[in-house]
Amino acid sequence: MSELIRTLPPSDKPIIHIKDATKSFGAVKALRNVSLDVHAGEVVVIIGPSGSGKSTLLRCINRLETVNSGEIWVEDVQVNSKNCDINRVREEVGMVFQQFNLFPNLSVMGNLMLAQTVVRKRNRAESEHIARRLLDKVGIPEKADVFPTKLSGGQQQRVAIARALAMNPKIMLFDEPTSALDPEMIKEVLDVMLDLAKEGMTMVVVTHEMGFARAAANKIVFMDHGEKIVETTPADLFDNPQHERLKQFLGKIL
Amino acid sequence: MAQIEPTAPRPFFDPRGVSRNILERRSWFLVFIALDIFVLYGIFTSPILIEAWNFVVVGIGVTLQITIFSFLFSIIIGLIVALGRISKNIIIYNVTTLYVELFRGLPLLVIILIFAFVVTPALIDVIAGTDVLPGIPFLDNLIQQMVGINPAVIETTSLRARDIDPVIRIVFAFAVTYGAFMSEVFRAGIESIGRGQMEASRSLGMTYFEAMRHVILPQAIRNVLPALANNFILLLKDTSLASVVAVPEISHLTRQYASNRFRYPEGLLILSFIYANLTILMSLGVIYLESRLQQDKHDE
Repeated sequence: MSELIRTLPPSDKPIIHIKDATKSFGAVKALRNVSLDVHAGEVVVIIGPSGSGKSTLLRCINRLETVNSGEIWVEDVQVNSKNCDINRVREEVGMVFQQFNLFPNLSVMGNLMLAQTVVRKRNRAESEHIARRLLDKVGIPEKADVFPTKLSGGQQQRVAIARALAMNPKIMLFDEPTSALDPEMIKEVLDVMLDLAKEGMTMVVVTHEMGFARAAANKIVFMDHGEKIVETTPADLFDNPQHERLKQFLGKIL
Repeated sequence: MAQIEPTAPRPFFDPRGVSRNILERRSWFLVFIALDIFVLYGIFTSPILIEAWNFVVVGIGVTLQITIFSFLFSIIIGLIVALGRISKNIIIYNVTTLYVELFRGLPLLVIILIFAFVVTPALIDVIAGTDVLPGIPFLDNLIQQMVGINPAVIETTSLRARDIDPVIRIVFAFAVTYGAFMSEVFRAGIESIGRGQMEASRSLGMTYFEAMRHVILPQAIRNVLPALANNFILLLKDTSLASVVAVPEISHLTRQYASNRFRYPEGLLILSFIYANLTILMSLGVIYLESRLQQDKHDE
């Protein structure tokens, strides 16, 4: 079913539609009138200095944070309205966190199977089959019965990606997936993400990995102080930066 | 009833650094065993102490029954109240907080007296139908069965507090008091789990309660197992308070024996001997439990 959806050509109707999202934490304005459309099959990378609101924007998409005003739509559901069934939305929106957040009380298989059985109501055999296939895909089939704390950071993050994929999501959100990793482990995670992008998964990625952004992104968004400053193609952004703050940011990190 | 914090992810005190030599670590236990054997020998070579022993020892069953049932009920109460204490719903939060503060603030002895002299008479009124409320036969019968009243008693004589099963008469006093303490243990355990665990669970589409049940509580309860076991020992000792309302557990029987024969030293020796053995047996259980948890952490 989900394979079918991915092979459909990108439609005009965005799969994620954010309109004038505003969010403040106390006196701090985390988002100021941010609008963003993501179409099915697109890979959107959000960059910006820390505190610029990029993680907040991502977390608003599956309502881990609620916006103060504005609209957020995922497919035909308005996520920020009170009467939407957010759990049905979250089933279709996978998320990968900076700190992995694997369940330490469960083995790798347990991590991959829990939501499948509890939320998707799949039987054990089916969810185990899916879990093993995804472990193969992220390259660590031999770690099936290991507990998360015995894994390296890169392996943990790959398990976290597999755990999200096990729900057959239509959209994947990545919240700085490589920021907590040692440098030599970053590549193994980015490779998995690149594969996903090639398969046509709709992805929204907050990252500082400009190499990944250049290689995988269809669209790149630069945010600063809660505002969306630039939204363009990677080539345009990196080779021909126009905006002053973007130039400063790129000057610091490249 | 001390509060014990759950074990932190990276404890300041690392038990791995402590001597593994069994003699160095467990000498206190050997001394206790030696003392135990000495006292036991003393008891069974003295006819007076044997008499005291025989009088008191029949109460161990009641003591353990009160302890175990109160513990189970207080765990259920504690879990539910802990969830209320971390609830965002202000009504649930305030109701459960009031309960905790109230029952933590009242001395256990006072609560026991209230249950014995206020709650139990009210219960008898309801069962015997002398209450202002109209009798509901079905409900009355059910309550009678639950509190262990022989139906013949009601038909022939008037109902008195001693017709109600003594364990049931007192268990709820312990359960509501310890429930307040247990809820704080569980709450500390739940709060020791990083918010990322809840976020990850919710992002996978789990509801709040599914996440609690499958992800948060298994980790939280594991963290507070030693604290729960500690409360179990405290509860066991506190059952001695039930003696003030004539529940026939070991403390009550000791007081009866000692005042009848005027043999306080003998009675109290037997009583201390029994309590010390019960609690130290449980302490060993706690030590075993903690070492197992430590091992698990290294295994993972």
